[in-house]
Amino acid sequence: MDVRGTPPDAEVVALVLAGDAEAFGFVIRRYEAGLLRFATRMLGSRDAAADAVAESFVRAYRHLASCREPARLRTWLYRIVTNRCKSHLVRRSVADVPLDDAPPVADPADTEADLERADQLLLVERALADLSPDKREAFVLKHVEGLSYEEMAAVTGERIPTLKMRVHRAREALLKVLEDHT
Amino acid sequence: MKGWVVLACAAFLAVPLAAQSVRGRLEGRIPSEAIPPVDSLIQFASQEGLPTEPLIQKALEGGAKHAAAPRIVAAVQVSLGQLRDARDVLVRAGDQPPVLPAEMTTVAWALRRGLPAPVVERVVAAVTRPPRAAAMHAVADLVAHRFDPDSAAGLIIEAVRDGVPQERLLDVSTAVLQQVQRGYTRAEALAIVRRGLPNLPAPSKPTRGSVAGARRPSSPAPP
Amino acid sequence: MNVIDPRIHQALDGELAAEAVPADLRRTVAQLAAAADLLAAVPGPAVSVESRVMAAIRRPAPSPARRAMRWLVTPRAIILRVRPAWSVAFAAVVAALTLFTADHEGPVLAEHEGIAQFVGRFPEAQSVHAVGTFNDWRPGSIALEDQDHDGVWRATVVLPAGTYEYMFVVDGERWVPDHLAERLVADEFGRENSIVIVRPARR
Repeated sequence: MDVRGTPPDAEVVALVLAGDAEAFGFVIRRYEAGLLRFATRMLGSRDAAADAVAESFVRAYRHLASCREPARLRTWLYRIVTNRCKSHLVRRSVADVPLDDAPPVADPADTEADLERADQLLLVERALADLSPDKREAFVLKHVEGLSYEEMAAVTGERIPTLKMRVHRAREALLKVLEDHT
Repeated sequence: MKGWVVLACAAFLAVPLAAQSVRGRLEGRIPSEAIPPVDSLIQFASQEGLPTEPLIQKALEGGAKHAAAPRIVAAVQVSLGQLRDARDVLVRAGDQPPVLPAEMTTVAWALRRGLPAPVVERVVAAVTRPPRAAAMHAVADLVAHRFDPDSAAGLIIEAVRDGVPQERLLDVSTAVLQQVQRGYTRAEALAIVRRGLPNLPAPSKPTRGSVAGARRPSSPAPP
Repeated sequence: MNVIDPRIHQALDGELAAEAVPADLRRTVAQLAAAADLLAAVPGPAVSVESRVMAAIRRPAPSPARRAMRWLVTPRAIILRVRPAWSVAFAAVVAALTLFTADHEGPVLAEHEGIAQFVGRFPEAQSVHAVGTFNDWRPGSIALEDQDHDGVWRATVVLPAGTYEYMFVVDGERWVPDHLAERLVADEFGRENSIVIVRPARR
């Protein structure tokens, strides 16, 4: 969805709080791809991720007045989604995290590079699933969602040194898996 | 010059005012003959940079339990000694003076709960940033259930290094005790929880019904 | 655990310029960056939650009558002071405040407050109080209750987060440790105090 030319977050928040519920659609279109990607990596399932993100958006709409810095709406939304993912994870053990659906069926048109990439992705996904939720969350926020450590601190409520340690440990675990399989 | 005069006046007044507030808390609560010696002990503590609130609480406790004056004074003296020991443990473990009062109180509790001083030092050295209360009590909880102090400390230290947040460390010891209740030996219980770190069962929270009925303590009756 | 060169972490954290990374470490940096890139794309058809979220938002909110009904039947705490001369006026003020804070269940906890639950079995008791460092060892401010008269006395109290020593006082005179607490220390008066650790409710 092309979101160029849409109003900035602070303006959209003001519109919604003034009673224009439809304006919340701007927020969803702007952020759902990133939030779904994050939640999918956290929960290992696109369906669970869609549930978590949808619940998060509804919650964000209902509590929009408590978003103290509309200019930092993105950070606030990630915070809601990380908490939602934690609730989902608490309801099942980490060991039960399903790796997303069935592996993709090879297409005869796939090149050698495509197949190798798919294999590599599966390896990385398994390594991610083996991480503790805290380390997984930190790695995905840092390297997949591209948040700075300051933003991650605002999202998770954790101190920056703690977040750095988690990201470092996650990298170490990932590297070990990658090296074991080369 | 004026500034020095003001400071000197403030210092001249501050000490008797502080003493007044300690005496004010003790008067009517402990036998009057115990007030001067207890007050002196509290002044010593203050001058040594030790926390004074645990000593005031010990005196008030003695008064509430209707202990005789000499017993109250002796109890405050023992508490003062415990705080000095706690400060020494913290300094030996690497904390730079002046040691934080809250940390001295925490370590004093740990020693009173039966943790050997070397084990307390080990935990202090491993948990470099205060507050250490959760880590200390988590170890002490296991020791109270007859776990070996070094093994208990080892698990909690590992939990800290694995990134378990301070506020969840008590859940580590709870998780171990739950395994024992399920029939595992102490060694097995420690190993099971260690293998799962940093994952932990969710902490138990009060039910919504009990939270809805929670109240704050009512104000104390006027003297 | 596979501890890697800290310069790799610095490079990936943007604290070390790519050209400053030694040649023998660049492969590892690239490997980890590539793994992150793989995760950035979620395979399969794009999913959108917009329609279901907007449907939930557009659903009409409960009517004021329904909200009032919900408020009437939801149990809530009313805090009363124990000063007879002020009790009527105070109760009126508290009632007015609860009308305007209808969304809250029970007391609103500050960031560093938590809940302590006291439970003890005293079948023959007439009164049970929790007395300790949370109330300057003053009996009377935390009274346990045995509402169903089964001999089990309870109190749930809001306290600042922290560690406290305490005992139960039964019938105003008998000091008893809380044996359910499982944390005991000698009190220097020939008895044992229990310890309660109050954790911040908001974690």
